[in-house]
Amino acid sequence: MGSATSTQHCESAATGGSSSILSVRDVRKTYKLGRVKVPVLHGVDLDVQRSEWVTILGASGSGKSTLLHLMGGLDRPDKREGQRGSIMFEGNDLARQGKRALDRYRADDIGFVFQFYHLLPELSVLQNVCVGSMILHGRLGYMSKRSATQQRATELLERFGLGHRLKHRPAELSGGERQRVAIARALINEPKVLLADEPTGNLDMKTGASILDAMIEYRENAGLTMVMVTHDERIAARADRVIRLVDGRVVEASSGDSQPVS
Amino acid sequence: MEGIDSAVYQALLTRKYLTRKIMPMLAMVAVMLSVATILVTWSVMGGFLATLIQSGRTLVGDVAIVWPNVGFGYYDELIEDLEADPMIEAATPTIETFGMIRLPDDRIELISIKGVDPESYSRVTGFADTLWWKPIDEPTPKDHEREDLRLQADDLKTEGGIDLEQVLENGLAMSRLNPSSGEVEPAGVLGIEVTGLNERTAWGGYYPWGANRALPDGGIAYDHVFMPETGSVVLTVLSLDSDGRPVDPKSITMPIANEFQSGLYEVDQGTIMIPLEVLQRNLRMDEARKVRFEKDTDDPFATVYDPATGTVRPKMKEVVGIDPARVTTVLVKKAEGVELETMRERVREIYAQFASRHEGQVPIAANMSRQIKTWEDLNRTMISAVKKETGLVLFIFGIVSFTTVFLVLAIFWSMASEKTKDIGILRALGASTPGIAWLWIRYGAVIGIVGSSIGTVLGYWIVSNINAIHDWIGKTFKLVIWDPRQYYFIEIPSDVDPQKAIIVFVVGVMTCVLGALLPAWHSARMDPVKALRFE
Ligand SMILES: Nc1ncnc2c1ncn2[C@@H]1O[C@H](COP(=O)(O)OP(=O)(O)OP(=O)(O)O)[C@@H](O)[C@H]1O
Ligand SMILES: [Mg+2]
Repeated sequence: MGSATSTQHCESAATGGSSSILSVRDVRKTYKLGRVKVPVLHGVDLDVQRSEWVTILGASGSGKSTLLHLMGGLDRPDKREGQRGSIMFEGNDLARQGKRALDRYRADDIGFVFQFYHLLPELSVLQNVCVGSMILHGRLGYMSKRSATQQRATELLERFGLGHRLKHRPAELSGGERQRVAIARALINEPKVLLADEPTGNLDMKTGASILDAMIEYRENAGLTMVMVTHDERIAARADRVIRLVDGRVVEASSGDSQPVS
Repeated sequence: MEGIDSAVYQALLTRKYLTRKIMPMLAMVAVMLSVATILVTWSVMGGFLATLIQSGRTLVGDVAIVWPNVGFGYYDELIEDLEADPMIEAATPTIETFGMIRLPDDRIELISIKGVDPESYSRVTGFADTLWWKPIDEPTPKDHEREDLRLQADDLKTEGGIDLEQVLENGLAMSRLNPSSGEVEPAGVLGIEVTGLNERTAWGGYYPWGANRALPDGGIAYDHVFMPETGSVVLTVLSLDSDGRPVDPKSITMPIANEFQSGLYEVDQGTIMIPLEVLQRNLRMDEARKVRFEKDTDDPFATVYDPATGTVRPKMKEVVGIDPARVTTVLVKKAEGVELETMRERVREIYAQFASRHEGQVPIAANMSRQIKTWEDLNRTMISAVKKETGLVLFIFGIVSFTTVFLVLAIFWSMASEKTKDIGILRALGASTPGIAWLWIRYGAVIGIVGSSIGTVLGYWIVSNINAIHDWIGKTFKLVIWDPRQYYFIEIPSDVDPQKAIIVFVVGVMTCVLGALLPAWHSARMDPVKALRFE
């Protein structure tokens, strides 16, 4: 990471949570299954600094994916006595934004890697990666950016070792290859934050490690902020900071490797 | 996300969903079939109705001046006036009345009697073309075996002694030679379905039924009941006095010169045309010396002794005058390119001038104005029935289209559900709600356009070849849907109105869009997180 980002990090650390890129305050989420309420998050507080890599650990069902969805603007936190917890992104509360703004937030500011790849089966690998740009730019915008976008998509896929499979369909790829396509897709619009939900969870260790290496490399080059959910303590150990989610609360925040990645 | 609703991913996914799934094919086929069905039904139905209306026009001309029962005089002068106008091509006097007819088998029926002047009547109406018995060279469309007797005019003449050429001439002149007296007598032209002696054939023509009669010994007897040759009917009419009151019944024996087919069954089974003078004479509408008694104004107190009653009564003066010949109707044909309504107005003007010259002798213009009608006015009941029928057909189409809407809706709903996860992914990547809705609407529109296009072309093709197709079905499956023996048209109409085709096409596309609307809305409103969890 360049010195500029380091400075930024120090700055944000100095001024507390106020300059963090994502700041979660007292966020609650309860799912309703008919009459039964399933409380998942009971007031989560979390700050993510710019260019920081935060890892979220937690037991299965502890609400990690739920928290990530909330941060990604896919869902909204509960209202409690008229008060909604807040999720601030660059000083704007997502919980108070309109639908349009959230759509734009998801398209432009956030890259999302899902637990289960979630590729579009009808599209080729290259098209799957470009689809985020198509959504962001609309018809005319995309037409003028088309070749640049395809160029960038090809580069990303090459970087993840998939340069020779651009025309293939997701069904023709292995799990690890699909996850790499999903990561490339998340990065196509050069997001500020990458939210990754167990990107290596379904893969063998070796493949997982190589994907993680590629992500770390990209992050270093681009100064990307990354929030990653994982079960794997070894992965967590490589992050700037690890938080644990237990019973819907952040119970312990520890630095994996007290140094920011450098 | 400029241009909220239009984005490349929609076009891309529409294309992919279209080419990769069986479902859109099914939807397309459904749309195609209903579009084709509707177009075929509507065209054929519309064709029949149009033919019906045209047939109703055949023997009416364009505009009729009608003064029923008593009729009106000086019509020759009126016709002269009319024919002098450039808007009018020809006019003809006719009488329309009712009477009884006694048929060769002694049946007695009510019949509509038209007194016409064949020469001018032919100029105003399609009368000449409706005469059935005449030599023809080309068989009628369905007569593939050339069974029509009229094709063998020469054989008929040498073998059966029937000269169709002469029969045609007789029809046109409304006269027939009486072989016993050697004189040419006035003769009538009978509707082809009146006697019941003409058997309608499978190919839509007529066979004079009485011509061949099977005998018990297996032989065939040749009966002379070919109406235009030897047949005659007896008409009974009620003559009217000059005030229009029936006076006494008169019987007229009418030889038959020919038979006509107008294409309108009600007309063909209940009408006879006879020469105008014959009808005028029998109805006492011909030119006559009129004798009237009036009070002797020279000496109002004069009396006279009546030897018949033996009483004395006031002296009356005998006034002798000429009562002009009268007709009930003058039919008018418009010149080429003149609007029907314009021409009716012109006829009214001409009549008004005519009436002012004959004040007190003919109906006044104000009263006659309402009696000057176009052929459309005259056939109003039939036309409105036809229109009602068209409305009914359109209503049924509406229901059919509605069924298609639901079909498309069901197919789209299942497709959209199947693609729930894709929608969740797209939403997670930032696709907007209207963007997703538009994806499906667009998808529906594409299916609608493709399905409707193929359906319209298919419908066009079917209608254009409907008679050939019908014949083929008849030959292959022995299934005759359209039997000219039961229906009054020989052929199934095979014209497609482009306007109808466009309407059906547009409705087809709209059906699909409508069917896509609900799934689109449902799909777009879905919670992306739930959609992503969808398995
Ligand atoms: N839509 C939903 N309706 C009801 N319950 C839900 C829903 N989504 C999640 N849950 C519940 O919320 C809890 C947290 O789910 P979440 O997916 O966030 O867990 P997680 O920490 O990501 O688990 P894992 O490590 O297995 O992915 C689970 O008990 C789950 O059953
Ligand atoms: Mg999870």
